[in-house]
Amino acid sequence: MVIYLKAGGELRSKLQPDVDYYTRRIEAEAGKTLSDILIGIGISPAFVAFAFKDGQLKRLDYLPSDGDIITLQPPVSGG
Amino acid sequence: MISDDEKERYSRQLLIPGWNQEKLKRASVLVVGLGGLGSASALYLAAAGIGRLHICDGDRVERSDLNRQVLYSESSLGLLKVEEASRRIAAINPSVAVVRHNAELDSQNAGAIISGCQIIVDGLDSLEPRFILNQESVRREIPFVYGAVHGWQGYAGFFHPPQTACLACLMRPDVFRPDRVPVWGVTPGTIGLIQAGEVVKWALGLAPSLLGRLLIYDGSSLSFEIISVEKDPACPVCSRS
Repeated sequence: MVIYLKAGGELRSKLQPDVDYYTRRIEAEAGKTLSDILIGIGISPAFVAFAFKDGQLKRLDYLPSDGDIITLQPPVSGG
Repeated sequence: MISDDEKERYSRQLLIPGWNQEKLKRASVLVVGLGGLGSASALYLAAAGIGRLHICDGDRVERSDLNRQVLYSESSLGLLKVEEASRRIAAINPSVAVVRHNAELDSQNAGAIISGCQIIVDGLDSLEPRFILNQESVRREIPFVYGAVHGWQGYAGFFHPPQTACLACLMRPDVFRPDRVPVWGVTPGTIGLIQAGEVVKWALGLAPSLLGRLLIYDGSSLSFEIISVEKDPACPVCSRS
């Protein structure tokens, strides 16, 4: 299946977008969690604070479906 | 009752439909962290006429704070942030009662610092004390107005457990933390003012727009996105309370 990962902030450089400025196309095995997919493309889950799809929060144990567009957000801790 | 002086001071906001200055005067708000976020939120909450402002920070003002921490100036260097912030708030609005806590918030002192406050505003610059505030918010069932920044990016949310998710439903504590967070003034200014706006809505009895939601702001593209944050049934904090 194919999913699209988008990244905001400083995660963008780790994601290495190839579709547009924010988005990378990923061929992923069905049944893999978002966390598994991230590890598979060399991104430690520690660099992802949370993810969302269609305006809804998705945790890293989320099982993506074909065609999903998932946005990854980095940890933000400053004040 | 608000005085004639207060009627004059707040005359422009009293024109806003639904505004109730007495409700703001009765509010007791805690701002933890008086950096970029806390500077913006505390200043505007004071100017709006929040009755009692509890402020907490254990740091002294450094020159590298002055690009974003608008409570302070060159003459503040080396002075305690709570003292300088208190002076600045009194200069803007002397009718605000300021309660000062010259301390870094930790699990030992959190209960005493939060005692007597109706709502918590997050102006912190690290994750650990945020999770302590979140735990207290869950335990006391008082709102936690989350804010955080990094570079051009910022997050803001209004968590009010048990009605909504809590911060620990949104993010794990084991994420990457840089030693030094890059930041410039407009990012915490924007997020801090959004936090202040949400506190004022809550104090007026209006529904905060970010209740159970998270705002994701990216100043580099000037984008604002809001997502829903559902309760995590396995949340280590609020699912156990």
